[in-house]
Amino acid sequence: MKEVEIDEVLKAARTPNAPRPETLQRVTGIIEGSLRPVRPLPPAWIFTTGLFLVSASVALAGAARAGFDGLEKMTPWERGLIFPTLAIYMTIAANALVKAIIPGSRRRISTDLLLGLGTVALIAVFAFSFRDYHVEHFVSTGIPCLLTGLFHAIPAALVSWLLLRRGFAVRPVSAGWIAGLLAGIAGVGVLELHCVNFEAAHVLVWHTAVIPVSGALGALCAGVWVRLRRLAR
Amino acid sequence: MTTSGGLYDDVRAGKQPSGAIHRMQPDDNIEKLMVRYQQGDFAAASALIDCVSPQLYRFFAAQSFSRADADDLLQETWLRIHKVRHTWRPGEPALPWFYAIARHIRVDHYRKSVRTATGERRLEAIAVSHPTPPPASDQAEQVAALLAPLSAAEREVLEMLKIAGMSLEEVAGATSSSVGSVKQKAHRAYKKLRKTFSVGQKGGRP
Repeated sequence: MKEVEIDEVLKAARTPNAPRPETLQRVTGIIEGSLRPVRPLPPAWIFTTGLFLVSASVALAGAARAGFDGLEKMTPWERGLIFPTLAIYMTIAANALVKAIIPGSRRRISTDLLLGLGTVALIAVFAFSFRDYHVEHFVSTGIPCLLTGLFHAIPAALVSWLLLRRGFAVRPVSAGWIAGLLAGIAGVGVLELHCVNFEAAHVLVWHTAVIPVSGALGALCAGVWVRLRRLAR
Repeated sequence: MTTSGGLYDDVRAGKQPSGAIHRMQPDDNIEKLMVRYQQGDFAAASALIDCVSPQLYRFFAAQSFSRADADDLLQETWLRIHKVRHTWRPGEPALPWFYAIARHIRVDHYRKSVRTATGERRLEAIAVSHPTPPPASDQAEQVAALLAPLSAAEREVLEMLKIAGMSLEEVAGATSSSVGSVKQKAHRAYKKLRKTFSVGQKGGRP
C-alpha cells in the first residue's frame, strides 16, 4: 500500500457530520446559567518567577535554619559552578510546571528533554566539583541527607501548589512529577548550602536522589488526588 | 515506494497537512470571542460554541466513530472549558487550548471505558448470558486495522492530523508536545505503515 492510499483510507474515515443541535443547545443553556466574568491567569513569566522565588526562598530558609556550613566550606569556584546551575535548573523546572498547568501551552523544546538536560548538567557539575572519591559511612550519612532534602521539598511543593491552584493540568500526574522535581531541586539547594560531606559518591547519589524521589512522590500524590476526585464524582 | 502527495511530505516539509480543511474561522476571531467570553458575554460564549464545536466534534468522532459518544464528549468538554476558561490567557492561540482540554476529556473517557470493559469482562465470567457489543462500522474497522501496527501516540497523532484535519501546531498544543515531536511521530507512523504493508504484499496479502 502506498502512502497516498493510506491517506485515502484515513481521509475516507473523516466524519463530516456536525454535532446535534440539541447538544449545542444544552451546552449553551448550561453555560448561560452560570456565566460570569473571570480573571484570566497572569502571564507565564509571573508564575515562573514566583515559583523560582518560592523554591529559592525555601532553600535559603532551610539552610538558614540548619546553617550555611556547606557554603562556607566550598571554594569560590565550586560556589560559582553549583549555585548558578541549580538556579538554571530551577528556572527550567518552574517554566515546565507553568506549562503543565496551562492547557495548550507552546513548547519549542520538549519539556522532558529540557528537564533531562538539566539533571545531566547538575550531575556533571557535581562530578566535576567533588573529587573526593573516598567513601565512609555511605548509607548512614546518606539517608539523613535524603530525608532533609525531601523534608524541605514539602513546603516548596505546598507553596507552589498554592501559587498554581487556579491552573488546570490536563496531565495531572505529569504535572505532579514536575512539581515534585522542582520541590526536589529546592531540597538539593538546602543540602548544597548546608551539607559539609563533599565525598563525590555521597553528593552524586544521596543529594541528587532527592530530585527523582521527590518527583516520584509528586506524581504519586497527583495520581491519588485524581483517583479520589474520580471516586467523588 | 513513493512518498509524494501524502502527509509524509507535508510533515517533512514542515507544512500544514493537506487534510487540514476544517477550520471555520480564523484564530483571531476565536480569540476575540474568548476574551469576551471571559468577560461574561453570553453572545460571545454562544458564538464560540457554534464556531468551535464542529471541530471538537470531529476530533472526538475521529477516534470514537460513534455519534452518541462524540456528542457526550463534546458536552463534557464544554462544561470543562467553562469551568477552566480563566486558564486561557489573552494573546495566546485559543485552538490548542481547546484541543488540550478536549484531549484530556478523551483520555479520561478512554480510561473510564477501559475500566468499565474490565469490570464487564469480570461479570461475563460469572454471567450465564451477556449482551454482544454493537458491531463497529466497516469504515471504523478498516481504519482500526490500518492503524493497528502503530503505538497509541503515533495513532493519535495520525488521527488528529489526517482524520480530524488538525495542523501540526494544533496537534502539538493538544498533546502537550513540541511540533518536532509531532512531526517525528507522524514520520515514524508512516514508516511503520509502509513497512507493514510492504511485508504484507510480499507475503501475498493485500
